[in-house]
Amino acid sequence: MPTRRKPHLEPYEVFRQEKDGDPMRHGGSVMAPDPELALHYARELYGRRQESTRLWIVRRADIGVLDDPDWLQPPLDRSFKKPGGYVMREKLDQARARSGQAKRVAGAGRSKGPEGG
Amino acid sequence: MTLDHGLDPQVREGLEGLLLAMADDEFVIGYWDSEWTGIAPLLEEDVAMSSIAQDEIGHARAFYSLLGELNGRDPDAIAYDRPPDAFRHCRLVDHPRTDWAFTIARRYLYETADAVRLAALADSTFVPLAGLVAKIRREETYHLAHAEGWLRRLAEARPEGRTRLVAALRVLAPDAATVFTPLAGEPDLVAAGILERPSAALADEWRLGLQPLFDELRLPIPGPAADPSTGRTAHGDGFRWLWGEFTAVRNLDPVATW
Amino acid sequence: MTDPLALDPILPPRERTHLPHNDARLSHDERYRAFEAHVHAGGKIEAGDWMPDEYRESVLRFVEMHANSELMGVLPEREWILRAPTLRRKLALTAKVQDEVGHAQLLYRVAEDLGKPREAMFADLLAGRTKFHNVFHYPTHSWGDVGVIAWLVDAAAIVAQQALRDSSYGPYARTMRKICWEESVHIMHGRDVVVTLVNGTAEQFDLVQEALDRWWGPLMQMHGPRTPRDKDRDIYWRIKAKTGEELRQEFLGIYVDRIRELGLVIPDPDLRYDEAESTWRYAEPDWQELRTVVTNHGPRSQARLDFRRANLEETAWVRRAILGAPATAAA
Repeated sequence: MPTRRKPHLEPYEVFRQEKDGDPMRHGGSVMAPDPELALHYARELYGRRQESTRLWIVRRADIGVLDDPDWLQPPLDRSFKKPGGYVMREKLDQARARSGQAKRVAGAGRSKGPEGG
Repeated sequence: MTLDHGLDPQVREGLEGLLLAMADDEFVIGYWDSEWTGIAPLLEEDVAMSSIAQDEIGHARAFYSLLGELNGRDPDAIAYDRPPDAFRHCRLVDHPRTDWAFTIARRYLYETADAVRLAALADSTFVPLAGLVAKIRREETYHLAHAEGWLRRLAEARPEGRTRLVAALRVLAPDAATVFTPLAGEPDLVAAGILERPSAALADEWRLGLQPLFDELRLPIPGPAADPSTGRTAHGDGFRWLWGEFTAVRNLDPVATW
Repeated sequence: MTDPLALDPILPPRERTHLPHNDARLSHDERYRAFEAHVHAGGKIEAGDWMPDEYRESVLRFVEMHANSELMGVLPEREWILRAPTLRRKLALTAKVQDEVGHAQLLYRVAEDLGKPREAMFADLLAGRTKFHNVFHYPTHSWGDVGVIAWLVDAAAIVAQQALRDSSYGPYARTMRKICWEESVHIMHGRDVVVTLVNGTAEQFDLVQEALDRWWGPLMQMHGPRTPRDKDRDIYWRIKAKTGEELRQEFLGIYVDRIRELGLVIPDPDLRYDEAESTWRYAEPDWQELRTVVTNHGPRSQARLDFRRANLEETAWVRRAILGAPATAAA
């Protein structure tokens, strides 16, 4: 049976969105005895100047944290998952030389495609 | 600059009285609430109460400005350049800040009364007032939520929070309904559609509105105002002290620019 | 204006195990050296990281004094909230003092996450075991003081605070960025009050000049005596980046001209810019006065601490009521 938590001040993390469409970013924390006051205090400390369009207020104790480097920075090669893993400069130069064509330049009827792709 | 607004002189006089009363209510309660800045029970709460006080002064400023458009006076001059007895705030807000329970009790009584008053002005035929009221009501939702939250918290905090809260409500009871002190010229305002209903009806509505929460928390609902004829004219020593404070610098030179 | 506080969440309490100083398998000395290298390379330290005791204590002492100063700094100014002479000035001053309280909250939070509860910090402050900055130990006499404090005392503080925005202690650096952004309005409000007064009546001008005459000494003492950079442990650990003298020079470089252009006289006949040495020369500040004041023997030190103590006692019941626990000695 869960025990009823005695009210005490605890930290609530505040995430804020500066303008519509922006990501939520960590702003800081407030101490509060319950979620309702945490909301008021978050508004005051991170929104009283109309500087935010949205706030998320989360009890710090409720936040799950993952920072195990084995999970997030595992040692074996994963370059096939990143654009930087595909360097083609030499191959392209080789192919162009073989076909006798210089590198195409953006001009009428042409647009510059995605960088590298 | 005085704006005519095409008002009948009697209606205009009544309207000026209404605006002054509302401006003074917000001004005085804003001052008392602003005293908590720097000394509230919790740092986070300090910031919250200060915002509420600033909102109240902001509302007062808006009402003084609207009044100034009618009588041609500068809002700061209206607010600051008169003796204490010329103030028309209600006795509910005349009391000093006292302690946290008193502040919360008084805030709750005032906010709920003001909500009823503002609702009765939301469709005012005096368009600038209706416009201002619409903006103020949006800010007031925050104040009401904060006041109600604290009323509950104190009412449920046995024994000390509750004891202090009940004691504060008892002291405030004879003055709570003074927000609805009938104004001179009120019948003209109602007839002109500037104010939707007379103050007496609003007072009843307010009291009914308090019932659900006060019954739930088993708090005493305030009755009619004691001595209603002086509801906006009898000012105590606490207010006179406050008047001394807020005029201290200005009275060094009322015509100078500060 | 975009809030410069835009870093990804860094959430205590887990350690960031990929940093060598956080590796429990290393010896203390190895961890210490790794920590040093990390900090000297510009790396940041977060609340959950392993820290040498000296670093933790230094950061806590630094942040705590800063938090205390914001809390005590509220007191001289809040007296004038009721006395502000116009509606706009009242709003501005209330908002400014509110910000100081907000800054105290932000800074006490940083210190709390280092392990010291708020109540313990209040207790130490009231008992005189921890300090607050000199300028907040002095009285205010007039509306002229309000302008001078909001403009020049805040400016001197901001010069220091801007130099802390890249502190090695991450939570403190981020908080300083938020504080600096919020403080910018205060100096503008202060300067506006001062300029309005100097443009007013002769009596209004005198209010400012008289206030400046009293505040200049404490202002010059505020950043502390000249100390050698290489002996400063707070600089060594990159907790702060500039010496007191560097901050004072920066302050003078910006504000001497701005004060003089208003027709105000700075009460230091020795104050001048030495072109040859590229440095400001000034009458030696009274370091004895500084020492006396920060050890709580200033003109208002005890009165303000007493006021804070009384206020905490008066409001203790509220904290008990919402926390349902007996109040600790200081709360």
